[in-house]
Amino acid sequence: MTIFSRALGVSLTRLSLGLALAATAAVGTAQNSVRIGMITDRVGPAKPYAEPVAVGAAFAVKQINAQGGLLGRQIELLTEDDQGRPDVSATAARKLSDQGVAFILSVSLTPATQQAQSVTLETKTPHMTPSNSGDTLTTQIDNPNFWQTGPLGSTQIATLLAYARSKNFKRVALITDNSDLGQLINRFFKAGLEKAGIQVVAEEVIPRGANTAEPQMQKIRAANPEALFMAGVLTPENVLILRAYRQLGLKTPVLGNYNLSVPQYTAVAKGLLDGVVFVDAFDPAKAETARFIESYRKDTGNEPYNLMGYGYDGVMMVADAIRRAGSTDKQKVREAMQATTGYVGVMGGVGATYQFRDGKRTGFDPNGMVVRVYEGDRQGRVVHVGLK
Amino acid sequence: MRDLLELTVSALASGCIYGLLALAYLLMTRPTGIINFAVGEWGMVGAFGGFVLLSALEVPYALGLPLVVLVMAAVGWGTERLTVRPLVERGAPVLAPILALLGMLVVFREIVSVGFGPDPRPVPGALGFGRLELGLIAGSYQSFFIIGSTALVFVGIWWFFERTLTGRSFEAVAIDRRAAALMGINLARVTAMAFAAGAMVAGFAGVLVAANVSAHFMMGLPLAIQGFTALVIGGVGRVEGALLGGLILAFTEQFIVRYAPIPAGLAMGVPLVLLILFLLIRPTGLLKAREARA
Repeated sequence: MTIFSRALGVSLTRLSLGLALAATAAVGTAQNSVRIGMITDRVGPAKPYAEPVAVGAAFAVKQINAQGGLLGRQIELLTEDDQGRPDVSATAARKLSDQGVAFILSVSLTPATQQAQSVTLETKTPHMTPSNSGDTLTTQIDNPNFWQTGPLGSTQIATLLAYARSKNFKRVALITDNSDLGQLINRFFKAGLEKAGIQVVAEEVIPRGANTAEPQMQKIRAANPEALFMAGVLTPENVLILRAYRQLGLKTPVLGNYNLSVPQYTAVAKGLLDGVVFVDAFDPAKAETARFIESYRKDTGNEPYNLMGYGYDGVMMVADAIRRAGSTDKQKVREAMQATTGYVGVMGGVGATYQFRDGKRTGFDPNGMVVRVYEGDRQGRVVHVGLK
Repeated sequence: MRDLLELTVSALASGCIYGLLALAYLLMTRPTGIINFAVGEWGMVGAFGGFVLLSALEVPYALGLPLVVLVMAAVGWGTERLTVRPLVERGAPVLAPILALLGMLVVFREIVSVGFGPDPRPVPGALGFGRLELGLIAGSYQSFFIIGSTALVFVGIWWFFERTLTGRSFEAVAIDRRAAALMGINLARVTAMAFAAGAMVAGFAGVLVAANVSAHFMMGLPLAIQGFTALVIGGVGRVEGALLGGLILAFTEQFIVRYAPIPAGLAMGVPLVLLILFLLIRPTGLLKAREARA
């Protein structure tokens, strides 16, 4: 045997041992960890929202693991990218179910989450969205394995409308973008305003990719409304609206949907935000929220914001349910999640709790949203809480 | 009257952006016959260049803007070397580089998306945010800057084509590629320069528009569509056609939104109707290319 063949033999032996050890370790990890799946959107239209939610979820997993894990085991977060596409989302849910996850979190687009439910209904895998706001996610499919803990779109709108009623606005204008969600929110806003007897004197749309909102804002200025509701969800187009608002010298109060709560506005709409009112589910003055902000800041060196809180609450509620179930048995976890009551999370105003009352699977407190106001370029104080 | 004049300034500024994007297409299409739909993504890359230099590194605007344009020249040249030239040298049909450039569109978008994340990034205006009033005429500082700087670009490019030997070689290639080659014009060099120039103009437009809309990874496609529509309206034959097409598109868009008694949602479709009408009725655009001179 030559030196070369001996060396080759030793290398092959080492390689085989290495492969065997790696395979054993992988099996060991799968057996010794609690697997939680997450379906996110890394390249599609939901990416700007899905990524921060996913970051919050990962932070929660890291925190739980640092504190000894769940049921004495470490949590393993398996992430799949559905590109915001419903068909891919269902495939991702199937893959995660096959990998034996105890729970799936969907943080992608609402239609994608809807489609993923077709798999979790069949495989009886517990499934939750901590961030989707579509009102029909728990009603279109009767899936007892699915829960929604983000605030519903209708709750967000109702909270802002409650604030508007308190201001006695009689004539208002609506402006949105041409995204599906922007159009949907606009319809909700319009219906709510008309139901409250508030007249919509102008209704405008900024198309995606526009480079000015001046024609639309001129029409709104001519209609002379008492307030302007921003229903759009595309940040660049909303910035155009705010820019034209300042440019044309409008003084009408601006009321923005939850998209205006994304702190990126403080960078891209610098100098345009003072006095803008927006609906949010994040009150930094709340003790649980303040603790989350502090621990996230300490761990990452960055400042968290509301979207991270949704992901964090999602994982923490899943962990809470598995802990109460005492195992990762799907049926026991399902029952534990449905029994959730009085859970205080990062999201929601002071006193808000998550619970699935009367068999419902939407857990966010309807009175848990707040209305805040920009003070300069800073997200400022809470000026209204809940639906009253 | 106040609204009308304000809107005129706004439409002129938007028309200039569309015109610049149409010019970027034209600079490549005229001598090569290749329609490069990655123009919009080049605008997006330019916008992020503006973010890095003007916002993150706080380079003065007068230095930062030319630097972005120079970087874009390298991006355009590199794109041509990597995706167009290998196909042309292998004798591929003209559709091949068009498809390869469509692929590059995705590559550019994903590089920026992964590198900078999904959030929009701020890009400052040349003169800050404010309103300039000249009698009844009023608009943002940025609108006036866009109008002024675009006029300079178009005058510069017109001068290049009309008054320089290199510019005339572009025109010669556009009129008859084979004859130009026989006259000793280096076709590969003209193609590379056309792509570099197209990227410079698109990147310049990207920096200008990003001051209004911010820099974000999804901004390329609308820019590509707006520029292409302006190109179809104005015609691919003449530099001034790109600007004319851009202005017609912007004025149509904005005046219909403001004054036409149709729902806001329907007004958005008007530019596309305009595009279809021009393709059906006058596919060469408003301005025809010059004939070969005797």
